[in-house]
Amino acid sequence: MTAVGWLAGGLGACVAVLGALHLRTQRTLGRALERLETSSAELERLQHAFTRFAPEAIVERIASSGIPSMGERKEVTVLFADLIGFTATSERIDAGALVRILNGYFERMTRAITAHHGHISTLIGDGILALFGALESNPWQSDDAVRAALAMRAELFEYNQELAAEGLPTLAFGIGLHRGTGVAGLVGSSELMQFTVVGTVVNVAARVQELTRLHRVDVLLTCEVKAKLNPSFTLRALPRSEVRGVAERVETFALGGVDPAAV
Amino acid sequence: MSSYRVRLVYVNFALADIVGLVVSQDNSCRFCYATQRMLMRLQGLSEARIQQLEGDLLKAQFAPREKLALDFARLISRASSLACGSDKDRLQDAGWPEAAVRELAFLAAAHVYFNRIHTLPAIPPERGERLSSHWSLRFLAPVVGRILRSRFVRGEVEALPAEMRSGPYSYLVLALEGLPAARALRRLLDEAWASPVLGQRTKALIFAVIARGLGCALSEREASRLLLEAGLSADEIGTILAHLGSPALDPTDAVIVPFARETIRYRPAEIQRRARTLRERMPAGQFLEVLGIAALANAVCRLGVVAPAV
Repeated sequence: MTAVGWLAGGLGACVAVLGALHLRTQRTLGRALERLETSSAELERLQHAFTRFAPEAIVERIASSGIPSMGERKEVTVLFADLIGFTATSERIDAGALVRILNGYFERMTRAITAHHGHISTLIGDGILALFGALESNPWQSDDAVRAALAMRAELFEYNQELAAEGLPTLAFGIGLHRGTGVAGLVGSSELMQFTVVGTVVNVAARVQELTRLHRVDVLLTCEVKAKLNPSFTLRALPRSEVRGVAERVETFALGGVDPAAV
Repeated sequence: MSSYRVRLVYVNFALADIVGLVVSQDNSCRFCYATQRMLMRLQGLSEARIQQLEGDLLKAQFAPREKLALDFARLISRASSLACGSDKDRLQDAGWPEAAVRELAFLAAAHVYFNRIHTLPAIPPERGERLSSHWSLRFLAPVVGRILRSRFVRGEVEALPAEMRSGPYSYLVLALEGLPAARALRRLLDEAWASPVLGQRTKALIFAVIARGLGCALSEREASRLLLEAGLSADEIGTILAHLGSPALDPTDAVIVPFARETIRYRPAEIQRRARTLRERMPAGQFLEVLGIAALANAVCRLGVVAPAV
């Protein structure tokens, strides 16, 4: 073989090796890009999921510069729901059944609340604190909260039929609704944070919920909710009652349903 | 309202495209996002450059002036609280001419419109997504890119003729004067109002509900004026807007009014489910017109920032 032949052969081998290296690099790069795309999509999904629990602006602030400590005064309607007599029930039944009953209950209540523009701020034992108008301003928050309470009542009725059919204890709840101004923000420790509202408005809703036992009704709402409420909802005024933490006796209204003639 | 049909005078095409990406991402509109990507490819941007830009969208690594413009577009799209004079001032302080800020607002609102037009009826995005990485784009890019870039033309803009200075929402059209966007918005509003598919009252109701939901007083006042002209009393308007229902509403409007509210802020799957329910209750033409009017109302109400403060 001549020198030219050796040279051509050598060059050919070099080209082949370089080609193989190029292909390998391309493949590695392709895989890396694919992984990057997957993580980007994952991050985007995560951001979207976060916006279910806190306003978008706060989610973005967390993504870019950590947990913000800002708060904002907002007009909100607070829905506080609590199961009646569930502590006693929980001591009588099997732990697995108890968790299943509770999870089924929370699933249905969450569905009813979110379908009416509310968001669950927190679950406290068997209690639910839901907010309307906290994530975004909502001029229809009173109507939304009352519709959510009606939907919760309907869901509980259906759920109780399922529980009874399985021979499990049925549930009963009390719901308190109140409207007012509270401070909305991310509250908690570095280990556990939640977007919620703090202030008298939340305490009053919780106390009004306690009054449902006294008045033997399932849903009670305050004058502040009634003032902005669609007149098609049927309400029954109840005697004023003392509420812990509130100087004056509080007037409440029991929620009936919707008057079809007034819709 | 298409930013691709409306001539842009101040916002260059590269930024205009990123505004489209930002707003479409914010509204979770896969269709518009894919279309925007494809248009960027057609304008000669490589896939790698687009991916880099997408990465930057998340990390917000733009020049401060561009970042302000994108934040402004996001503010208009999101409307958690409506964009206001101080938001415009911030852009002007960063060197954006006043007219450029108005054009930016229009551009963001245009994408708010497109996002709803495509998301509400659940137009499948997959085809657009596949197209953006199609081999043929390499060959089409030089020609189509040149056409697309031609929408960015500096120069004088003709004054609005007398017949375009009145009509529904004329205060917004006049606020855009000096921009080609003014004529585009006027034509779109006139066509929407002239269409016989939905009554004037229904269209004004959709605008009024969306204005109330966004807290846009100017838009609500204009919609209320149109509702009074359409025969509703002030009390009836008050009740409808306070509770999204009233015995004064006919059965069709009684389902359209609460639906309009859902188009303000939504999650795609949820709004598409509600749209399907609405579709079952009215003819296709009427349904499409409701979606179009709701999309337009969302854009128009968010565009209120360009109107002079009252």
